[in-house]
Amino acid sequence: MANPVIMPRQGQSVEACIITAWHKKVGDAVREGDLLFSYETDKSAFDEKSPASGTVLAILAAEGDVVPCLDTVCVIGEAGEDVSALTGAPPAEVREAAAPAAPADPNTKQPQAETAPPVKRDGDILRISPRARALALQTGVDMTRVVPTGPHGRIIQRDIDTALDRGYHATVADVEAYLAGGYKGSTAMTVSQNTALEPAPQHPDTVYAVHGVADFGLYEEAPMSGVRKAISRSMCASLTEMAQLTLNASFDATAIMEYRKHLKANAQLLGLPNITLNDIVLYAVSRTLPDHPYINAHLVGETFRLYRHANIGLAVDTDRGLLVPTLFGADTMTLSQIAAASKDAAERARSGQLSPDEMSGASFTVTNLGSLGIESFTPVINPPQTAILGVCTITNRLRADGSVYPAMGLSLTFDHRAVDGAPAAKFLAQLCTGLENFQLLLGK
Amino acid sequence: MPKSQYISPSDAFASGFLTFDKIPLCQYKKTLAQEKKLYTKADFLRIYRDMRIIREFETMLNEIKTKSAYNGVEYTNPGPAHLSIGQEASAVGQAYCLDINDFTFGSHRSHGEILAKGLSSIEKLTETELYDIMKEFLGGNILRVVEGKQENQGDVKELAVDFLLYGALAEIFARTTGFNKGLGGSMHAFFIPFGIFPNNAIVGGAAPVALGAALYKRSNHKKGIVIANSGDGALGRGPVLEALNMASMDQIRKLWGMDGKYADGGMPILFNVFNNFYGMGGQTRGETMGFDIAARLGAGFNPDMLHAEKVNGYDPLAVIDATQRKKELLLKGEGPALLEVATYRVSGHSPSDSSTYRSAEEIEEWKAACPIAAYRKKLVEGGIAAEAEFDAIEADIIKRITKICRMAIDEEISPRMDLDSQPDIISSIMFSNQSVPSLDPDRQADVLIPKEENPRVKQIAGKARYAFDDKGEMLPKIKQFGLRDGIFEAILDKFYEDPTLIAYGEDNRDWGGAFAVYRGLTEAIPYHRFFNAPISEAAIVGSAVGYAMAGGRAIVELMYADFIGCAGDEIFNQLSKWQSMSAGILKMPVVVRVSVGSKYGAQHSQDWTALTAHIPGLKVCFPATPYDAKGLMCAALNGTDPVIFFESQRIYDIGEQFHAGGVPQDSYEIPFGEPDVKRVGTDVTILTIGAVLYRALDAAKKLQEQYGISAEVIDARSIVPFNYEKVLESVKKTGRILIVGDACDRNSVMRDMASNIAEMAFDYLDAPPVVFGSRNWITPAYEFEKYFFPQADGIIDVISQKILPIPGHVSTVNESEIAHIERSKEGI
Repeated sequence: MANPVIMPRQGQSVEACIITAWHKKVGDAVREGDLLFSYETDKSAFDEKSPASGTVLAILAAEGDVVPCLDTVCVIGEAGEDVSALTGAPPAEVREAAAPAAPADPNTKQPQAETAPPVKRDGDILRISPRARALALQTGVDMTRVVPTGPHGRIIQRDIDTALDRGYHATVADVEAYLAGGYKGSTAMTVSQNTALEPAPQHPDTVYAVHGVADFGLYEEAPMSGVRKAISRSMCASLTEMAQLTLNASFDATAIMEYRKHLKANAQLLGLPNITLNDIVLYAVSRTLPDHPYINAHLVGETFRLYRHANIGLAVDTDRGLLVPTLFGADTMTLSQIAAASKDAAERARSGQLSPDEMSGASFTVTNLGSLGIESFTPVINPPQTAILGVCTITNRLRADGSVYPAMGLSLTFDHRAVDGAPAAKFLAQLCTGLENFQLLLGK
Repeated sequence: MPKSQYISPSDAFASGFLTFDKIPLCQYKKTLAQEKKLYTKADFLRIYRDMRIIREFETMLNEIKTKSAYNGVEYTNPGPAHLSIGQEASAVGQAYCLDINDFTFGSHRSHGEILAKGLSSIEKLTETELYDIMKEFLGGNILRVVEGKQENQGDVKELAVDFLLYGALAEIFARTTGFNKGLGGSMHAFFIPFGIFPNNAIVGGAAPVALGAALYKRSNHKKGIVIANSGDGALGRGPVLEALNMASMDQIRKLWGMDGKYADGGMPILFNVFNNFYGMGGQTRGETMGFDIAARLGAGFNPDMLHAEKVNGYDPLAVIDATQRKKELLLKGEGPALLEVATYRVSGHSPSDSSTYRSAEEIEEWKAACPIAAYRKKLVEGGIAAEAEFDAIEADIIKRITKICRMAIDEEISPRMDLDSQPDIISSIMFSNQSVPSLDPDRQADVLIPKEENPRVKQIAGKARYAFDDKGEMLPKIKQFGLRDGIFEAILDKFYEDPTLIAYGEDNRDWGGAFAVYRGLTEAIPYHRFFNAPISEAAIVGSAVGYAMAGGRAIVELMYADFIGCAGDEIFNQLSKWQSMSAGILKMPVVVRVSVGSKYGAQHSQDWTALTAHIPGLKVCFPATPYDAKGLMCAALNGTDPVIFFESQRIYDIGEQFHAGGVPQDSYEIPFGEPDVKRVGTDVTILTIGAVLYRALDAAKKLQEQYGISAEVIDARSIVPFNYEKVLESVKKTGRILIVGDACDRNSVMRDMASNIAEMAFDYLDAPPVVFGSRNWITPAYEFEKYFFPQADGIIDVISQKILPIPGHVSTVNESEIAHIERSKEGI
């Protein structure tokens, strides 16, 4: 009995995935649990293991293909088995027998066309009118919830209007990703023969005369990965559509450093996880955000979504690019829960195991470049959030009395469309006060 | 069909024999001694000079075409050169009799005729007249090139000969200093100030056009005659035979003339056939025709037998003798006339002609009979001039042609149009776009009664100029001022304003036009301005072209659009092209009224707007309301461009439903090219062409009432020109457009518009622009027309199937893509 292997659906918003690598080829023997293929969404990468043992009988999508979720990508069974029912191709002998009869009755075409259900995607083509496409991008509609009602399953203007009326919103980046998703793209790095690197010249002094641009002008071409594309669109959209500005402040980190030192010494005693300075900042943020609803918010069109809980996005640097898992309900977690959750999320982000659902839904984001020695920066807001906090490094500063204290920098970028300068500054000041008096904040 | 002319059975069945007079064949018998009484020595020598100039001019072109060099001047000319070596005596003999009030029209082989008429005009004009003509023509551009390059400085006639030769050659070589800035070329060269009207690259094309110029002289009481020159091959062309017949129609002598106010008389036109025995290579006598002698044709057209005669075209004095007699007949009002001038083309049809159709012996015998050598011999032997005098003339001509040739190929003094620096230069002359309400404002228009006394005007006065009463109720049709009334009013006003305006077509006069548009004109306008034409569409449209060239304004009617094909060349090649081929020198104020039928089956119900819109140089409109029809007709009649004015027989009686206040009584213009929003809407745009407007409005009403869909309906009104801005504005609003018309769908104007809209509004579209025209069938009988022409329900079906699926709507027509593909596969 042949088993179809489908493209799993990774999260509600994922429509299709790109196959990045096949680890088996047709005819290979596989055992249940063997690595079968790798694939990725815009935001994450995954490996798929074989659900059965047997032989790979058919592979229906090539590396680089965009495969709609739940579509069959390969078939595993016993060698020689007929897989036509699963691959959609008639067996050879049936095909031959049916061939002469098929064109004899052209009338059969029409009922077929009429009874075919509306299709949103026809192969790689997303059917959407230019006007509907423009409207979708302009309004940020949740394309996954748009029901096409135009001729041939085409999405037309009224379909976007209907989805918007029902409140189905998404980020512009999501809409763009969706609209672009219908097109084939390859993530495999391609290096053309002409650009193969040559050994460095032996005599640097003569390089310009002898080699010139021909040698130093060489480069490799690398296509953008899905993650990179998503970041690219999201960041561009963020900077072009929002009125962003950044406030910089610092606070006396003596209290939190003391507290951390104390924890380190006694962690094992209490069975506490390793708690980093970033975890402490996350905790302080989670306790401060509920007092500032417009900073813990989304702005979609002219509507705010004021979140009841602090869902903090945690910016994690990975080999694939920036990923932002969400700590849902951070305001309900203890410090140690936050520490454990952020560690787990960061690890899974780095190993590419996050689900798309975990990477959406944040109401505020914290990004930390302090460990890399950055003293202040302008974080870019992840739309449609209204603010992002950048955590900077600790520098020594002088007090008025000449004594030295460790000062930690905080950079708050906010969307001036959503929040004015004074309320944003008040949030930052409250955060600094809380961190400077961390023992008190722990009671909150 | 005037009632004054009674047809009785006894006349119709009268017994007897039809007899014909003799047709003279080469009866010229005068001796040189007799001729010496008519010509001075200078006259004799000038005839020789003119023939010799033509021979040298054509020889020069032949050398350039075949050897890329003439007398040391090297040049390659890719354009045509249909030479007339051998035919010089025929051309010079004819032109000798003519002055600038006599107009000549020619064929593709007319270099010789142009030069002969030009040289004759130079001889007859005074030096002052000549210099003024040269100074004023194209702002003196040609004069500046040739002036100061003469041996006898100050000899204006010498200068004028250079001007003529240079202007013609520069035209042949496509130079801006040519007579028509190089846009006419070899086969379309002409020079109006000398009475040289266009020669014509379409064989026989000039005959109806020349008839129109004669009509202009006849209807406007102008001096001079018109000569339609053609070859013998042209006698096989329908338009030539139509022109011969229309020029001969009885009414000109029997009914025209306003009861003695103007002299009666026939059409002042001479159909002059230069019979060189070949139509390209087809031998007209013995092979492709049956007339044996071309002059025989005269016997078929009127009791005068067109005064037909054949003359020896190798003897210039014989040609002068015959042409002079014909001219006198025409001036006496006894036209038209037919003259066959037997001649021979020693050169090929064109330089690529290898004469496979004739023997070397035949050519040699004609060469031996050379008209120029024979004439010279005759004059030498007659003691009129010595050989040396002829040699001197010849040497002077070769020198002059060499000089002219050198100038015409000089890129500095004879540049070509620069389309790199002026890419729109040809665009700018496709239309003249002028507004000239009267082409002869100093003259009183010939009319029979004051306008107020017109019975139709009185009848219209009792009609409502708006279709609805004060309460918004639609009035009975009989009380509404209809579309045909709007067209009538514009035309009647123009008849009183512009004395040059004439109108004709089939059954225009007593019948009042087949669809009663002209009812009331018969009482008001005399025959010479308004008459029934023979059933000769080519001659009807072709003569309107010549009438406009000569300086008048004409309205001609094709009873059904289906008859456009009968006037194909006249609409597609003549009416459309002369303004631009003349570099804007000629104007073409002609309105061709074309009625689009229904109910009458496959050959009487076609909307052929696409055929005319395809041809550059025509303005095309299709109004659907009385207000638009009158306004567009006023604009067409004030303008100077050719207009194909489509009217629909479905709606001649429709009242004005849109323009609040109704159709104004006074004249007003609706600018060409502006579509009109007839119904405002937000969800889908319906662009209509012609009478389908009303079916689209019905569909819009149903869409609103049954489905809550708001349709905007735009009436194209004009097709060429067409301003897309208003349509694009609507499409940007609605995102959807359906284009509807009664023309068959394939290659229609609708398809062209859809393609343009898709390009220009792509980003705004929610569905592709969709076309709903008639099926690519024959038009079936009236009872089946709903399956053929777009109907209101079908419009809704197409919107639902292709643009905006309407839940719950059940379609009656299958306009799916699959159906479209299957039909297209079958050629349907």
